[in-house]
Parts: sequence; C-alpha cells; structure tokens
Amino acid sequence: MTAIAAEVGSEIPVLATMVTRETLVRYAGASGDFNPIHYSDFHAAALGLPGVIGHGMLTMGLALRAVTDWAQDPSRVRGAFVRFTRPIPVPDDAIGAELVVTGTVTKITDGVATVALDVRHGSEKVLGMATAEVDIS
Amino acid sequence: MISDAHAGRSYPPTEPYEVTRAKIAEFAAALGDDNPAYRGDAPIAPPTFAAVIAGQAWGALWADDELGLELRRIVHGDQRISHRRPLRAGDLVTATLTIDKVRNRGGVDIINSSVALSTTDGEEVCTASSTFMHTRPADQQEQQ
Repeated sequence: MTAIAAEVGSEIPVLATMVTRETLVRYAGASGDFNPIHYSDFHAAALGLPGVIGHGMLTMGLALRAVTDWAQDPSRVRGAFVRFTRPIPVPDDAIGAELVVTGTVTKITDGVATVALDVRHGSEKVLGMATAEVDIS
Repeated sequence: MISDAHAGRSYPPTEPYEVTRAKIAEFAAALGDDNPAYRGDAPIAPPTFAAVIAGQAWGALWADDELGLELRRIVHGDQRISHRRPLRAGDLVTATLTIDKVRNRGGVDIINSSVALSTTDGEEVCTASSTFMHTRPADQQEQQ
C-alpha cells in the first residue's frame, strides 16, 4: 500500500447523504437489526421518540464511509468509536433526512491517524466523540 | 431485572456465522458504498459489518429472561469497534458476548457489553464494545 499523505489538521472529503425510510428498510435487512423503532412510528412513539429514527449503526457506518472514501482501502481502518448523542428522525416522505460527515486528522502516532468525525443532521451534531483510527503508513 | 450483579456474565459463542460475498454486497449497498474492496471474488467487509455478527450475540441479552430486557425498549448509547484485520468473505465467525458493567439510573438500565469475534480456527478478528440504554416499563420503575 502507498502511504496516505496526511498531517494533523488534514481534512477528509465531506460526505453528504440522504437517509430515507428506504435506507432504513435496506439497513434493517442487511444488518439484521429489526428493532421496530427504526420502521414503526407506533413503536417509536411508545418510547417517547418523535417518530421513526435511524439505526445508530447506520449512522456509524455512514460516518466511516466518509473515512474509507478518503482512505480508499477499508482495511486501513483499525478502529472507531461513536457516541449516539441524538436520534435522527427519518420522515416518511420523498426527501428523508440529510447527514453531513466531515473529519479532521487530530493525531498521528506510529503511522496511525486519528480522525475526529463531525456528523450532523441539519445544525445538530448526532454523534459525540466520534473518531476513527486509520493506518496511513 | 438486570443489575450490576450480572457484570462478568458471558454467554456461549454464537453458532458460526459465514461471511459471504452476497451479504457484504448487500450491506455495502445499504450504506450506499461502492468501494471496490467490497466487490469481486475476495471482498472484505465494511468496518461496521462487525456489528451484524455482534448483533447475533446481543440477542442473548434480550433472550435472557433473568435480565428482563425488551428489544423495543433498547437504545444504542455508544459503540467501539477494534479490528485486528477486516472481516473477509469466507470467514466463519463466532461471537462471544460479555456483560462488562451495569448501572441503573432513574428507570434506565445502562449496560456495557463487549463482543469478541473470532474465526472458528481461533483467530481473533475484532471486538465490538457497546453501551445500551434500556428504559424500564413504568410498572417496573416503581420497584426500585
């Protein structure tokens, strides 16, 4: 593998993507996570949620997609952490909910870059302390 | 009802899960990800695919009647994934779940768990550590 040119402060390309009810259905099937709060407004409301919300792991997967789009080879990703701080309401309409992922290299140690990720739905941060460790050597 | 008395409890490894090209392709498509590493004859899986297999071990938590957890009352609090190497098509993987820590706060159970993913040959591939929040039903909140 060719080393990735990165230094502390380097930014990864921005990923903007739409999450729709179809996205949630596909992710439920692909992941096997059939928690009904991700497809049923009835069950979501019973838990006090505003409506159907996206799977946390879908958000994490999309955040890491921004990282692997940058790193190109996903095997470079050594680890990742996210805190699911805000649910992403996904309306039953033709538009869905937009997620925007940005990331900045905050540390490089022994050829492994820590990328701090900022994942937003509108102006709200939906993940806290989101980071990925990427082998850039 | 779940409490810190359950910290340290481990469940038997799940039945071996075979990572297949078709499932990797389906998962990558669900993320809208067209990375070529997820296609072809010998694809690797996206990093968060680990949660697909770990999720089978999470099922042991909801299925353990002694813990009194209901899947529809669970919210995922945080997630760490650590890879020694990526999961690959052809891997036969078991998932072993351990409850690391439990706190009960105002009708919410906060559960830290970790799932070790290993091949059936004994190779450790990755670890998925999660925090789950379980909102107790109202009638059980009064019992605290």
